[in-house]
Amino acid sequence: MSEAENRLNRRLFLHIPTVFLVIFFVLPLIALVVLSFWQTENYKIVREWTAMNYVTLATEPAYFIFFIRSLFMAIFVSVFSVVVSWPIAFFIVRHGGRYKLILSLLLAVPFLSGEVLRLIALQGMLGPTGLVNGVLLKLGAAPLRFIMYSNSATFIALVYLYLPMVVTTVYLSLLNFDFRLASAASACGANRFRIFSEIVWPLNLSGTIVGFLLCFIPTLSAALAPRFLGGPNGVLYGMSIAQQFGESGTWALGAAMGVVLFLFSMLVLGVFSLGIDLRRTGFTGMGRQ
Amino acid sequence: MYAQASNERLTKWLMGAILVIAYAFLYMPIIHILFASLSSRPNFPYPPEFDYGSYIRLYTNTVYQDAFLNSLIIATCTSILSTVLGFLATVGVLRFGGRKALLYAAFFAGPLFVSEILLGISSMSLYYLVFELQGNMVTAIIANSVHCFSFCFLIMAALLYRYDWRMNEAAVVCGASPARAFYEVMLPLTWSGILGSLIVAFVLSLNGLDISFYLLGATPTMPSVAWGALRYGVKPELYALSSIINILVFAAITVLYFVARSDKKRPME
Repeated sequence: MSEAENRLNRRLFLHIPTVFLVIFFVLPLIALVVLSFWQTENYKIVREWTAMNYVTLATEPAYFIFFIRSLFMAIFVSVFSVVVSWPIAFFIVRHGGRYKLILSLLLAVPFLSGEVLRLIALQGMLGPTGLVNGVLLKLGAAPLRFIMYSNSATFIALVYLYLPMVVTTVYLSLLNFDFRLASAASACGANRFRIFSEIVWPLNLSGTIVGFLLCFIPTLSAALAPRFLGGPNGVLYGMSIAQQFGESGTWALGAAMGVVLFLFSMLVLGVFSLGIDLRRTGFTGMGRQ
Repeated sequence: MYAQASNERLTKWLMGAILVIAYAFLYMPIIHILFASLSSRPNFPYPPEFDYGSYIRLYTNTVYQDAFLNSLIIATCTSILSTVLGFLATVGVLRFGGRKALLYAAFFAGPLFVSEILLGISSMSLYYLVFELQGNMVTAIIANSVHCFSFCFLIMAALLYRYDWRMNEAAVVCGASPARAFYEVMLPLTWSGILGSLIVAFVLSLNGLDISFYLLGATPTMPSVAWGALRYGVKPELYALSSIINILVFAAITVLYFVARSDKKRPME
């Protein structure tokens, strides 16, 4: 292939998606920043530069509480999901045999049916008239209060929403992991704990971090689950953003909250990506070259 | 030695038990609402019965029909647009990426790490508030495509990385135009990845609420109507709608399963 032709192909294949993302992904984020420095009065935008929104965010304790609550929720949900996904993914890869494909695709069914529909299904389980309390009532027991409109309900819902994603990520990482390395360590006399802590875990750490982040970032900005299941003390940050853009019409403040959320996500992403080697995540299989 | 073997078996059973519990946790709500939608007593539909009342009410409700049609249009356009862009990106990274391949790959996967609500509100800020454009289907399709693009890119990259690019060059050397090389050599070998990407993008954008919600204004989509109805309490119709979508998703995944299996039988190398 000639050099000029190669450059043309590069332009065609790499630059078209890049331009698309710059216009419709990066530019909107910049617009969000711009909006966050404007004001909204009576559902109208006032185009005057001001940092009022950030001052409001810093001085109003409610937003800080929402944020801290979201942060803890996101940490708990992601850590729990990672801890649970490891045995599941490991079992599928090692003992799944010819059912590997079925088991991994079955994870995709709940994931693809969408947040709203899954919340509806979950409400059928957890709500006051849901299955869990229905069974308890039939058995003559008292209904469980903590799964109705509480932060525990939000926790269960968020694990339900993002567990398939984490399992899939860890699964892909383990699938591309060469288990002969573990056998080699075993032959050299390492015990199972050492094999895990010195070979399997570190070599799949990148994939695990990606899974953690793919759960952490959406949970941090969760808006639908807390609104529907969280109850009066369950307002989370994402839900508050949605309210600024919805009922209250204070878009500029919502934009400022969005910018804070975005910057914080990027910070977490930056810190964690120090530990990520993309070639080892198992996502694209580039590690196998 | 014996102790270690039994220990290993114990670990295996423990992991298996966690797997079973997790799958039960994931599927119980789905199966429960399927029974609930078929029952005249949706709160506690056991023993199961078969009552199609909620499906008939759903079918005759025009609100859901319009919303479903809108969702279908958005999902179709989004899946095509994001798959085309994802395909370009995949080929670009795998074939023409060179030393910057990883950099491009990280950028193309970027939207995965920005939550849907941020994508929604930032696109809304750009279109409505900066350019003062009215929300319409096109803006919703584009914003959904940004989100689905990353999924498409990763799916196709995972399935295409073993593709031997020399085959395209061979076809061109034999006198085929690049387009013909694509249709007759590349497409038959890579269609499973393309189909997988189409299906996943379709289903994701059919069911996604966050993105469309901020970009469509008053135009109803299926998830937004479901969300609206949810605020007035869950009704059996919603269970019926949910069950129909779950069955459709299940069918799509079954298609993916057979595609992936036929792909395995005929390795690309």
